[in-house]
Amino acid sequence: MYWKPEIEILPQQQLRVLQAQRLQDTLNRAVNSPFYGKLFQKHGIGPETVKSVDDIRRLPFTTKEDLRNNFPYGFLTVPKQGAIRLHCSSGTTGNPTVIFHDNHDLSSWADLVARSLYCAGLRDTDVFQNICGYGLFTGGLGFQYGAERLGALVIPAAAGNTRRQIKLMQDFGTTAIHTIPSYLFRLHGAFQDLGLDPRRDTSLKLFVIGAEPHTDAQRRRIEELFGVKAFNSYGLSEMNGPGVAFECQYQNGLHVWEDAFLTEIIDPDTLEPVPDGEEGELVFTTLDRHAMPLLRYRTRDLTRFLPGDCPCGRTHRRLARISGRSDDMFIIKGCNVFPMQIEKVLMRFAEVGTDYVIELETFDGNDELTVKVELQKEWFTGDIEALEKLSRQIAHEVRDEILVSPAIRLVEPGSLPRSEGKAVRVVDSRKS
Amino acid sequence: MIAHQVSIFLENKPGRLEKVTSVLKGTGINIRAMTLSTSSAGWGILNLLVDRPETACKKLSEAGHPAVLREIVVVRMQDRSGALHDMLSLLTLAGLNVQNAYGTVLGDNKTAILVIDVEDTEHVQQIFDSAGVQALTSKEVYGL
Repeated sequence: MYWKPEIEILPQQQLRVLQAQRLQDTLNRAVNSPFYGKLFQKHGIGPETVKSVDDIRRLPFTTKEDLRNNFPYGFLTVPKQGAIRLHCSSGTTGNPTVIFHDNHDLSSWADLVARSLYCAGLRDTDVFQNICGYGLFTGGLGFQYGAERLGALVIPAAAGNTRRQIKLMQDFGTTAIHTIPSYLFRLHGAFQDLGLDPRRDTSLKLFVIGAEPHTDAQRRRIEELFGVKAFNSYGLSEMNGPGVAFECQYQNGLHVWEDAFLTEIIDPDTLEPVPDGEEGELVFTTLDRHAMPLLRYRTRDLTRFLPGDCPCGRTHRRLARISGRSDDMFIIKGCNVFPMQIEKVLMRFAEVGTDYVIELETFDGNDELTVKVELQKEWFTGDIEALEKLSRQIAHEVRDEILVSPAIRLVEPGSLPRSEGKAVRVVDSRKS
Repeated sequence: MIAHQVSIFLENKPGRLEKVTSVLKGTGINIRAMTLSTSSAGWGILNLLVDRPETACKKLSEAGHPAVLREIVVVRMQDRSGALHDMLSLLTLAGLNVQNAYGTVLGDNKTAILVIDVEDTEHVQQIFDSAGVQALTSKEVYGL
């Protein structure tokens, strides 16, 4: 039933006691990092300030800006030699956000992912094909180590080459897949092109999907197309990556692993906790990370706690599907993108203005990103080839920045909303 | 004098072309010929042969349209089968690639004109000159 029953069905009251102990440990470690050392001193606080889990509110928040400003080693609690792996964010604009792990951290992370996969129904008899980017992206190695820890046979298929993915599935009898939801639609199209029906011609029985916003209707459509149950995974690189919150067999929200992540939901404007069950911004404090603990990290993801107990028996509270962001970041094809990254690329091209609109749409199950930008009057020469070349150059440089290929659409000057005030820069019409 | 056409950047959307013609109508510009090349990326370039290109370009620009004057070479042809082929053969022989070309029949039903839009108009002039084909002066083009 459970990967780690002593933790997964621990009554909430005892879970709080465990959290309080681990929080103390975490604070005692955090104070050794240059960033938290200074922060504690500045606010006249320390591990002794926080006596209960609720006292966490006496600590200030940590933000992505803090991570960037203290790049690369400002959050390390151990000498650099003590860390054995790092993962960092994509993009070439400014400092990336980097997370370091020591031996304990990687083992604890693998355990959380194993627990998550087990919770969704993966067993050591399964063949698990991990179809996502390896390398800096946490979904690759994160699921690799987790599924290995669980004892499944893992195929590190990585992203792309759909025909080959299908061949791997057939050659090795893949029973479970982790990937981003939009890829499953493409995969299904490829099965059809080959005259195959995945419901009949594969051994698939379990999907794990995440790293990309999608609706429940999209999930049900995927389940219908493949005849396979699809489970939601939630994570973020600042909290290791995958293995933060996961759906169980009941698919009724995501159990957040409260022994590893102290979870708060706050009002992003007042920064006060929202009443129980109301939507707000997720804030996490790591409870089992040694090299780089993070305290009250603002995820910018919006969600709420779901009320009631889960029939699966796990006591860890359930989060609703992420409903949006409290900043302007969006996720496409598994990549986190801030409009500012695209804006900075556009500013390198004198031929186009700095007003822009980013459109996110779904075509044939694939998410596409279009950047609309105004052609500057004085740069127009009447040469169609020059404009096409310009579009290609912009697309190329945007891709280098955000790792997703955009379509560039030149529009007439003055046709986009001005940059003053709160102009809408991102129009997300992705639907099921 | 080298003749000019007006080239205008347009989004491929309903009503965009009509915005341009409305400016031209308001200024009393007469359009003699036009082509519209569209890219697959949702925009296009409208090329217009008009009687007063400078005025047209200025007015369109004032109305917010990216518009420029582009040099063209205009030659007169007989309105008969094979005439266009003969003209184009001259350019092909010289190894010239035509970016954009269009033509129109004149009112006398005996002659037609060919408008050629290339980067190097002087080269095209020379090709036609050496073949004994007389390119029209700008005054002739605008007075068609």
